[in-house]
Amino acid sequence: MDDSLILQIKDLRVEIPMPEGTLTPVRGVNFEMRKGETVGLVGESGCGKSLTCKAVLGINDKKCKVYGEINYNHPTDGAQNLLAMNPRGKQIRSIRGKEISMIFQEPMVAFSPLYTIGNQISEAALLHITKNRQEAKELSIAMMKKVGIANAEKRYNQYPHEFSGGMLQRAMITMALVCHPKILIADEPTTALDVTIQAQILELMKEMQKDSDMGILFITHDLGVVARMCDRVNVMYLGKIVESGPAATIYADPEHPYTNGLMHSVHKIGSRKKERLFSIEGTVPLAMNLKTACGFYERCDHRIEGLCDQADPELVEVAPDHKVACFACDNEACRAMRAKAEAMLKAQGQQGASKEEKRHE
Amino acid sequence: MENKSLSPKKSIFSSVADFFRQDLIRYIINRILLFFPTILLISIIIFFVIQLPPGDYVSTAIAKLQQEGEEVSAETAQEMRESYGLDQPVIVQYGLWVKDIIWTGSNTTYYRLYNSHHNWKYSFSYQTNVWNVIGKYLPMTVTITLFTMLLQYLIAIPVAVYSATHQYSVGDYAISILTFTGSAIPGFIFAILCMYLSFLWTGNANVGMFTQDMLLNGINWGNLGEFMKRMTIPFIVFGFAGTCGTIRSVRAQMLDEISQQYTLTARAKGVSERKIIWKYCFRAAINPTVTGLGTSLSHLFSGSTVTAMVLNLSILGPVLFHALQYQDMYLAGAIVMVQAILVEVGVLLADIGIAFLDPRIRYSGGSR
Amino acid sequence: MARRIKTQDDYYLASQWQLMLRKLKKHRLAQISFFVLAVLYIGAIFGDFIAPYGLEEFDAVYKDCAPTQVHYVFEGKNVGPYVFAITKHIDKKTFKITYEDDTTQYYPIKFFVHGTHYKVLGFIDCDWHLFGLGEGSNGGKDAKIFLFGADNLGRDLFSRILIGSQVSLSMPFVSAIISLFLGVIIGAVSGYFGGAIDMVIQRIIEVLGAIPQIPLWMALSAAIPPGVSTIRLYFYMTIILSFINWTGMARIVRGKFLSSKNDDYVMAARLAGVSTWSIIWKHLVPGFMSYLIVSVTRSIPSSVVGETSMSYLGLGIRSPATSWGVLLQECSSIAVIAQHPNKLIPIIFVTITVMAFNFFGDGLRDAADPYK
Repeated sequence: MDDSLILQIKDLRVEIPMPEGTLTPVRGVNFEMRKGETVGLVGESGCGKSLTCKAVLGINDKKCKVYGEINYNHPTDGAQNLLAMNPRGKQIRSIRGKEISMIFQEPMVAFSPLYTIGNQISEAALLHITKNRQEAKELSIAMMKKVGIANAEKRYNQYPHEFSGGMLQRAMITMALVCHPKILIADEPTTALDVTIQAQILELMKEMQKDSDMGILFITHDLGVVARMCDRVNVMYLGKIVESGPAATIYADPEHPYTNGLMHSVHKIGSRKKERLFSIEGTVPLAMNLKTACGFYERCDHRIEGLCDQADPELVEVAPDHKVACFACDNEACRAMRAKAEAMLKAQGQQGASKEEKRHE
Repeated sequence: MENKSLSPKKSIFSSVADFFRQDLIRYIINRILLFFPTILLISIIIFFVIQLPPGDYVSTAIAKLQQEGEEVSAETAQEMRESYGLDQPVIVQYGLWVKDIIWTGSNTTYYRLYNSHHNWKYSFSYQTNVWNVIGKYLPMTVTITLFTMLLQYLIAIPVAVYSATHQYSVGDYAISILTFTGSAIPGFIFAILCMYLSFLWTGNANVGMFTQDMLLNGINWGNLGEFMKRMTIPFIVFGFAGTCGTIRSVRAQMLDEISQQYTLTARAKGVSERKIIWKYCFRAAINPTVTGLGTSLSHLFSGSTVTAMVLNLSILGPVLFHALQYQDMYLAGAIVMVQAILVEVGVLLADIGIAFLDPRIRYSGGSR
Repeated sequence: MARRIKTQDDYYLASQWQLMLRKLKKHRLAQISFFVLAVLYIGAIFGDFIAPYGLEEFDAVYKDCAPTQVHYVFEGKNVGPYVFAITKHIDKKTFKITYEDDTTQYYPIKFFVHGTHYKVLGFIDCDWHLFGLGEGSNGGKDAKIFLFGADNLGRDLFSRILIGSQVSLSMPFVSAIISLFLGVIIGAVSGYFGGAIDMVIQRIIEVLGAIPQIPLWMALSAAIPPGVSTIRLYFYMTIILSFINWTGMARIVRGKFLSSKNDDYVMAARLAGVSTWSIIWKHLVPGFMSYLIVSVTRSIPSSVVGETSMSYLGLGIRSPATSWGVLLQECSSIAVIAQHPNKLIPIIFVTITVMAFNFFGDGLRDAADPYK
């Protein structure tokens, strides 16, 4: 594993067996994260982004089956495949909270209402850093002050219902950062908050990152947030990454029709045009019994009949560090992929036809 | 910075320290103050119920007397009515009932009537102060009920936690089937079945019945063994439905808590599964069970009334039945009243207990 | 693909009730329970017809007799289902009564035979029975078919269970409907008007919950004057059973009212000049009807147990009417049960009914949240 990398996800698949069939919300996700980098994972709800980040910590629901490889570059122990660890074992538990932390979407339900905030924050410190309660408390209060919780000593002994949503999110960030992790996974950390509070929280995360070489995996459906936060962006659709690249590139020059659609569905302040805000037609299909086709086929304006519903495009590099998975994109790499796929389909068609003929004989 | 500790064990102490917090004291005082109007309302409802039988006590009594060949003149009837206060407005009658029956346990006229007609078949049944009758059976009733409850929770809670943490396992299915059946079989029917089975297997049918020794001398170390032997079936019968019900509700609660977001948060910071279950889920899941303590007591009284008759137990249930059979509504009313007050005390204790367990209630002043 | 979109559209367009039904169909146990309940209720409705004997028809010879054996093969050849008559033997020393099959003659079981008169649905006079031994071909001696045995007066337990189920199954049902009405009205008043009315109603509900159910039922049923007609007795008992169950409904209704009375759609209706009653009935009640139905279903089992318990104690339905509880009165002594375990059969019916209602109620509860 490359030393500049901190996290590498290889061909991640998540399957959920259901009575009606197997649901495959994550269908082969690949991406990497460098040290100190902020990587965005963008997509509509239901595209599998939350499951992807939960898989990193091994905290998926018991009924989820996770395949693939998630390599974490441990600062002392070297590269480790997190998926190979027992999800309830000691080894992964020593990574959770210590090396990789996570903050969740809804701070209001992320704390147990029965214990004080202080208890729940210092629990992380007690698990990973110190056995001394007093020290854990001091560390927690120091971190609470750092993330901007005023009156931290008093707040420490209060219960979650005495906190506002924004304050709770700060408390959760405290809890995630108290052990100084190398990676912070933020699963839509601002969705449930007021806009003004959102900005504060994002600013806070940036600040906290500056002080350490912590990598942030930022999950969101909010492109504005991505633009503000991320160095790199991965756009996910139906369990796959459809476009990946540096944030600036993706914003300036989105290739995939889906990314394009996403960009157009953002309201821009100052735009004078009086027109309906663009929206992508339809909804994300259910990731069950999917046939080989582009996941976006049904909703795509640029779809190529006979190709996009027959073959699934793979990610190809269209520019340095910029990857897209689409047959319809107008660039060299995609055209090459399209030609290849068409040739393959043709060959298959002939094969099928010859089989038909044989049967007729 | 005060040195407050964080472990769950010590946080019980901090809960006790919280006791002296004003809001908690206010909550408890409020709750205790609420107890009295509740009792008042209970007594009104029970008074209403015992007033329901057609005719008043005197006419019922006279009808009985006449059946047995006694002559009752109109003057006597009038006199009896007056001494009962039955010629007074309902509100005065209620007052008299509370004063004479509930407060002192005796109504002089009531006993004059009893005493002057010893040939009254039912006057022999409990020819004494209402509270004496109840007092005779209450200790055993309370003992059996509390013991059953204790047993019920001791068994139900670990089983429920096992079942919830091993959802869809063979054990979970077995427990689910058992608890479903258990809460479906009416208690008294289960009692009949148990008696029949115990007869089939051991040939012994006199379950529950107390020996002469027990009735005369009460329960002591000497007959404790025999007592427990005789009480096995009653305990099983009383406790079974409640245990099954508790298992079902605690299991459902646990499953609910396990699926809560905060378990994920705890897991993400590296807390072990065992600690997640016990520190977070169990503590939260047990709250509704504590709240349901009063209801559970009510169910026990309700179920044991009929069951005790099947099993021939000397507790309040059968006494209530006989009182009703003989239209002795004063005694019946007093028994129901006692049971209701006990339940209400249970509810009160549960409400106070939950205020200690659940910080949210403390702060909202108990408005749930 | 198109089909999936269609089913998705179906999902979004389906009414709340359709979704509920759809979810209920997936709940296997609830389905089985519904089927069982349907069978039981059909049995009760056509009880007089299915039962071979009337409620009070008795034969002293068959006092306490065991279930009649149904045979098929008589003297080496299959003659269809038939029974033997029995003869009674009294041991002169022990006075023990034994019954023996009289195997000299067989009595075939016939279908659609004439028997005791009864009234279909209460008004059509009829004497057809589904099966029985019929008249004639008796050879001077009556054989009887007592599938579950006979009681201590020589009455057919099978017939009595079926006819008794008319009371045992209908009373909880009717009382559930009464408590539904009481609950909706009282709960609506409590939730909609609030203030002092709400306070008083809430206290009463709480207090009724604190008084143990069966003792309260017993005390109430003791108030039924002796010697009232069966119909009045039934009526009184139904009211008594509803006396407590309405509190659960009222609580739900009140809660829903409190949470939705300030919702925008209620405000909109009010601004449009819709009357308070119409708002309650047209806008609020349909919104939580499903929860109420669930709650009603889940209250039925305790009513079944309550009715059975009280009748068992002699405080409920009395002769000449019967119910499962009355039938169980004979089981109060071990000696009787030990000798005639068949007398415990009504227990099976009570238990199955309670379980079926429980499972069905659980299924309904799961289905009531159709968007989950």
